[in-house]
Amino acid sequence: MNVQPLRPPAQGRVRVSAPRTLAHHIPSGTSVSQEVAEQTAVGEVMVRSLIRSQLRLALVVAAGFVAALLLCWALVLWLPTFTDWRVLGIPAPWLILAVGVYPLIGTCAWLYIRAATKNEDRYRDLVDEK
Amino acid sequence: MNPAIGYSALILVSVSTALIGFYGLRVSRTTSDFYVASRTVRPWWNASAIGGEYLSAASFLGIAGLIVISGLDALWFPIGYTAGYLMLLFFVAAPLRRSGAYTVPDFAQARLESSTARHVTSLLVVAVGWFYIVPQLHGAALTIRTTTGLPSWVGAGAVVVVVCLTVATGGMRSMTFVQAFQYWLKLTAIAVPAIFIVLMLSGVTGQQSGPTIPAGTELFPPSNPPSLDSAYGTISLMIALLLGTLGLPHVLVRFYTNPDGAAARRTTLIVLGLLSIFYFFPTIYGVLGRVFLPELAATGSPDATVLLLPGRLIGGLGGDLLTALVVSGAFAAFLSTTSGLVVSLAGVISQDFLGGSVRGFRIAAIFAAVVPFAVAMVTDSLALAGSVGLVFAFTASTICPLLLLGIWWRGLTDAGAVAGMLTGGVLCATAMIVGAQLPIDAPWRSVLTQPAAWSVPTAFLVMVVVSRATQHRRSTTVSRFMSKLHVPERPLDVENPRTSSS
Repeated sequence: MNVQPLRPPAQGRVRVSAPRTLAHHIPSGTSVSQEVAEQTAVGEVMVRSLIRSQLRLALVVAAGFVAALLLCWALVLWLPTFTDWRVLGIPAPWLILAVGVYPLIGTCAWLYIRAATKNEDRYRDLVDEK
Repeated sequence: MNPAIGYSALILVSVSTALIGFYGLRVSRTTSDFYVASRTVRPWWNASAIGGEYLSAASFLGIAGLIVISGLDALWFPIGYTAGYLMLLFFVAAPLRRSGAYTVPDFAQARLESSTARHVTSLLVVAVGWFYIVPQLHGAALTIRTTTGLPSWVGAGAVVVVVCLTVATGGMRSMTFVQAFQYWLKLTAIAVPAIFIVLMLSGVTGQQSGPTIPAGTELFPPSNPPSLDSAYGTISLMIALLLGTLGLPHVLVRFYTNPDGAAARRTTLIVLGLLSIFYFFPTIYGVLGRVFLPELAATGSPDATVLLLPGRLIGGLGGDLLTALVVSGAFAAFLSTTSGLVVSLAGVISQDFLGGSVRGFRIAAIFAAVVPFAVAMVTDSLALAGSVGLVFAFTASTICPLLLLGIWWRGLTDAGAVAGMLTGGVLCATAMIVGAQLPIDAPWRSVLTQPAAWSVPTAFLVMVVVSRATQHRRSTTVSRFMSKLHVPERPLDVENPRTSSS
């Protein structure tokens, strides 16, 4: 595959290759105050508390979602023994599994993103106050 | 079926894929473009691309096929496939993007500072990728066989050739365009015929002669009576699908193309929406397939339901056009998932063994596609959704614990990670192989064929216990790395450095 460059190449060809790992130089989206904050003891505490609150949030929302999923499962198993409820000819268990679960997934995702962003904003405010 | 339909659909998809690939190539200028699309892909593009890559043969053909066989219970598959992204969003999306690592092995090395851990992860990633590509090639073989009558190797071979050409020439940036296009192609291909069929059957079109649902047919059979065995199967499947998604190599590599952690989250939210819309349609095919194509379940190729239903229900030119549409959607599914996997595998193989040059990437890409082709040729097609489910169980028992503990627990050591991954991988693979040999009514069969419920917790447990026993091996830079993962980026003044620098 030969693509001719429009302009003549600079003197001496340089072979470009991906570094063995890109993990050591992320594009710097971090500011000086953040860098400083992370190296101090206080900064370390703040980072730890940020991680803890994000983890707690993720676990709570995940647990809520799994509980809701179990509830759906129970409904699918037990509803037919009580009722033959249908919408447009579709029985309730099919409606729950084919359609009903998806808005639930979307809602969980939206709630999580809102809360996670809030956690990060709180952390930013703390760092800036220092 | 008229073979011309199959041929034209195949050519249509291949040509449009190649065109978009070459268009992308013109804007792919740097090595970084080639590998990670310079991390400047916008959430909508990226989400469409993730959707395009993720909706594989299992989603496009497999779910409907499974509904034909097992009815209501099959609906757990699309739920699991979608909800896997929810877990990815909660636990992995933003931190992994901030880690700056390009592949899972990169992450393992940066987090654990160990090249052994890196190599073990690389091997697992390559194994996962290969075993995920095999069902795609089986799907392609089935599609070509069903629509044109050509031998199986033609379909699988066509996918491998097109994928190698696009990946080796275009790299990641053009792949993003191709994948995004293929999501929308797949959605159109599955939705339009389904809507036509439903309208026709409900009598809105006013056609008198068309097929109708025979009176007294139960379209929606109730689920099988609950048993301990089926309950275990459902739980194990959900664990595999929920946790397996976040270890899939082709899914992870997509997240590095987001500009920052917040964008990674936004992307995931859009992906969830795109998947939810898509998964509404296979159910329609499955339900109608039970009524109109019952012979497929008997002949052992229920996965062809989606391909054959439009032709069966809508005759004439309309039926031919809709069939061509569906076949091209199926082909887009094999192409996009396979190329996504090949890109991520090529990334791993070339970085680990070939020095990371663009040339190495191309060689690795061909290597990554040809090996599963050989495997697919000597193995028989299982039910597509089922065999993809097994790959999810395997990633859930190996790469998922590495990522979750690596991102959220400072105590993870390289020895713990390696021990846990190997334990999970060996347990999971052995159980599946032994389980597949057992007769279908053996009492412990489902415990072995669906190992996720016990192999995933075991892998986590081994990782934690061994890490605790080898505390002295903790990485010295873990604190810095943890803050890099979790501390939000500054909002940048300039969002896209590419456009501003020119």
